[in-house]
Amino acid sequence: MIVPFGHVLAFSAAMFLMGLACVLARRNIIMILIGVEIMLNAVGLTLVGASALWQDLDGQIFVLFIMAMTSAEVSISLALVVYLRRRKGTLTADAFDGMKG
Amino acid sequence: MMNAQFLFLILLFPLLGGVTNAVLGMRLPRRVSTSLALASVLLSAGTTLVLWPLAQGTGARATLFTWLSSGDLRVPVEILFDPLSASMCLMVTLVSSLIHLYGLGYMKEEGDYARFFALLNLFVFAMLCILLADNLLLLFLGWEGVGFCSYALIGYWYGEEKNALAGRKAFLVTRVADVFLALALLLAYKLTGTLSISALNEQAPGLAPAMVTLMGILLLLGACGKSAQLPFMTWLPDAMAGPTPVSALIHAATMVTAGVYLLCRLFPLVSLSETALAAVALVGAATAFYAATCALAQKEIKRVLAYSTMSQVGYMFLAVGAGSVSGALFHLLTHAFFKALLFMGAGCIIHLAARENDIHRMGGLARRSPAVFYLFLAGILCLAGAPLTGGFFSKDAILLATFLHQGALYKALWGLGVLTALLTALYSFRLLYLVFAGESRGEVSRHGLPPTMLYTLPPLALAGLFGGLLNLPAFWGGGERLGSYLGTLSGISHPADHRVEMLLIGVAVAVFFAGWLLAQRRYRRYSPTLQAEGTGFLLKGWGADWLVARMVLGPFRAFAEGCWRQGDLRIIEGLLGAAARGCQGCGELFRRMTTGRLSTYLDSFAWGLLLVLGWFIFSRI
Amino acid sequence: MPAVIFYLLGGTALAATLMCVTRRNPVHAVIYLVNALFALALMFYLLGAPLVAAWEVIIYAGAIMVLFLFIIMMLELSAEQHPSGPGWLRWGPVILLSLVLLGATLLILALDPKAAEPVPLFYVTPRKFARALFERYPLAVEIVSFQLLFAAVGAFYLGRTGSRKEEP
Repeated sequence: MIVPFGHVLAFSAAMFLMGLACVLARRNIIMILIGVEIMLNAVGLTLVGASALWQDLDGQIFVLFIMAMTSAEVSISLALVVYLRRRKGTLTADAFDGMKG
Repeated sequence: MMNAQFLFLILLFPLLGGVTNAVLGMRLPRRVSTSLALASVLLSAGTTLVLWPLAQGTGARATLFTWLSSGDLRVPVEILFDPLSASMCLMVTLVSSLIHLYGLGYMKEEGDYARFFALLNLFVFAMLCILLADNLLLLFLGWEGVGFCSYALIGYWYGEEKNALAGRKAFLVTRVADVFLALALLLAYKLTGTLSISALNEQAPGLAPAMVTLMGILLLLGACGKSAQLPFMTWLPDAMAGPTPVSALIHAATMVTAGVYLLCRLFPLVSLSETALAAVALVGAATAFYAATCALAQKEIKRVLAYSTMSQVGYMFLAVGAGSVSGALFHLLTHAFFKALLFMGAGCIIHLAARENDIHRMGGLARRSPAVFYLFLAGILCLAGAPLTGGFFSKDAILLATFLHQGALYKALWGLGVLTALLTALYSFRLLYLVFAGESRGEVSRHGLPPTMLYTLPPLALAGLFGGLLNLPAFWGGGERLGSYLGTLSGISHPADHRVEMLLIGVAVAVFFAGWLLAQRRYRRYSPTLQAEGTGFLLKGWGADWLVARMVLGPFRAFAEGCWRQGDLRIIEGLLGAAARGCQGCGELFRRMTTGRLSTYLDSFAWGLLLVLGWFIFSRI
Repeated sequence: MPAVIFYLLGGTALAATLMCVTRRNPVHAVIYLVNALFALALMFYLLGAPLVAAWEVIIYAGAIMVLFLFIIMMLELSAEQHPSGPGWLRWGPVILLSLVLLGATLLILALDPKAAEPVPLFYVTPRKFARALFERYPLAVEIVSFQLLFAAVGAFYLGRTGSRKEEP
C-alpha cells in the first residue's frame, strides 16, 4: 500500500464528518442529500483502503454495490423532492413538520 | 335440674330472639315476630326464677367454653350467679318483659318492627352479659353491646337527623368513658395476670394501695359513662329522642345502672381505697345535685325524667361511695320500678296529648285519663320520697349510710343529698301539676290508649309503692331481707343509733312535705310567667353542652381540619400533584423533542453517534 | 511518489468537499462535489481499484451528480437567502466528533504497528473483479438489479403529473 492505512482512515473520517456537517447544518433538502452522498463516498474510500490492506477484493465489490444502491436511492429521493416541492412550494426541511406532536 | 350450666339459658334466650328477629323478622308476620321477642325475655325471666336457689350464699359458677387463650391470658366464658347478680337479673328480665309488652302497643303503627324488637332483645342479652359475667372481658363485651344497642335504639328513627345525632352523641360520650374501663382491664391484667372478677376480688388485698386507688378511679370513670354521671353525662338528656320503651328500658332501669353494678361487683377491690370510695361518693352527690337543678327547668317531659334518672343514679353512686352496696342495690331496684313506670306513663301522656312533648302545653290530663293520672302519681310519690313508699326507704337507707360514714366530706355530701331530695320533691310535683292539673293548655287526643300500654303500668306501680318491703330497716320492724340476702356482698355496714335514724327520717319527711308545698304554691295554678322560668343556664344543663363543644369538640375539629388542610391537601396531594406534574413535565419535555422537523431528528442521530462512540472509547481506556 | 500524489489528491478532495458544504448556491455545491469525486476516483485507482475508480466517475459523478443538477435546475432553486447557521447545540456533535477523530488519528498514527510495514500493492484487474463478482456474489447482483428496477418504477410513479389526485 502506498500510504499507511491509518492515513486512509483519517482522511475518510474527515470526509465523513464533513458530510455529517452538511447534513446537520443545511436546511435545504437537496443539500442534505448531497451530504449523504459525501458520507457514502467516504465509506467507499474506507472500504477500498481496507480491501488494499487485507489483499481481498470483497471491499471493492461492496463499493460497487454501494454505488448501485446509491443511484437507486438518489433517483427515488429526488423524485420525492420534486413531489414535495410540488406540494409545499418550498424545499426547506423545517417546513415539513406534519409529524409534530 | 339444678345444673349450673342451665344458667347460660338466661343469656341464650334473648340472644336467639334477637338474632332471629334480625335475620328473619321482616319475613315473619308481625305477631309472630313480636311475640317471639316477648317470649324470649319471658323465658329468660322464667329461667332466672327457676334457677333462683342456685344463687344462695356464694352463688354458682358455670363455664361454657374458653373464649380466648393467648400466652398467659385465659378468658373463659364464665358466669357467676350469686345474690347480687341474681337479683339484678330478675329485675332486668321482669322489667324488660313488661317493657316489651308495652312496646307492642307503643310501636303498633311502626312499620320497621323487626329491627326494634331485635335490638331490644340484643340489648337484654348484652345487659345480662354484664350482670352475669364473672370475667371482665365478658363484662366488657356486654358493656359495648349495650352501648351499641343504645346507639341503635336512640337513633331508631334515624330519618330525622336529630335522632341520629343524639344516638351518635350517646355512643361517642360513653365510648370515651369506655376507654377508661379498658384501661382498668389492662391494669387488672397487669396486676394479677387474670381478668376473672372473682380472682380479682380475692387478690385485691394483696395489691399495692396506689394501684388499687388507680383501679378504683378508672372503674369509676368507666362507670360514669354508662351511668351518665359527671363528667360524661351530656348524652342522657338528648337520648330521649328515642322511642319511649327505649327510654324506659335503657335509660331508667338497665343501662344507666350498669355503672353502679360494675362498682358493686368490684366492691371488694374498690372498697380497699378510701380515696376511690370518696371519689365515687363525691361524683354521685355532685351529679345528683346538678341533675336535680337542671330538672327544675326542663320543658320536655322526658327530659325532666332523664335528668331525674341522672340524679337518682347519683344517689346510687353515693351509696356505693358510702360503703353500702345493699343500699345502692335497694335504690337501684326501687328506682327501676318507679322510673320505668314514669317513663311508660310519659309515653301514655304524650300519646294522650296528641304527641306533644312540652309540659307547658299540657295540663288537665287528669280529667282526660284518671287511670294514667293515678299510676303516674304513684311513680311521682316514689320518686319524691313520700313516706312509706319504696323510694322513701331506699333513699333513706342511702342518706343514713352517708351520714354514718366517718369524715367531714361525707357529712357535707349528706347535706347535699338532703338538698337534692328537696329539689327532687320540687321538680317531681312540678311535673305532676304542670301535666295533670288545671285546664288543658294544648290539644288532647280523642284516641284511647292501646291496652298493652296502659295495663303494663299497674304491676310497676305496685312494685314501686310496696318495694320498701324488700329491705325494710330494723327500725320499722322489717328484716332487711335484701341486706341479709346479699350477705357478705352488702358492703360495709354501720351500726346505727336509733336516735340518729329517727332524726334522719324526720328530716326526710320534712323535706318531702316542704318540696310538695313549694311546688303546690308555685305550679298548681299555671301562670304564663312559668313559661320563661329556668333561665337558659339550667335549661341547658349548666351549659355542659357548650362547655364540651368549646373544650373538646372545638379543638378536635380544629385539629382534624388542620390535618385535612395541611396533611391531606398540602402534603399528600401536594406530593401526588408534584409527582403528576413531574410526569407531565417529563412528557412535555419529550413532546418538545418531536418537532416533526427533519433537522431535529438528524441532530439526535449525531448526538447518539457521539454517545456510542464515546462509550466505545471510554470502555477501551 | 504515489504517496505524494495520494496526499495531494486527498487534500484536493477535502478542500473541494469543504467548499461544497459551505456554498449557498446548490449548483455550485454540486460542481464542487464533482470535483471532489474526481479526486476520490483517482485515489481509488492509486489504491489498486481501477474498476471502482472508473465507476466512481461514470456512475457517481456522471449520473448521480448530473441527476442532482437536473433536479436543481428543474426546480429552479435559488441560492439560499439566509446564511443563518445553526447554533452551538447543532454544531456540537460534529465538533466533538471531529475532536475525537483528531485524537484517534493521532493515536493510530503513533501506535499502529502495521502502518510501518509495507503492504504489497494489491491491484485488481477487471477480469479478477468480474470473476469474483459473478462467482461469489451472483445473488447480490440479481437483488441489486431488482432494486434498480424498483427505483425506476418508483421514480416514475412519484414523478407523474396529471390525472391523479393531489392527496395520495
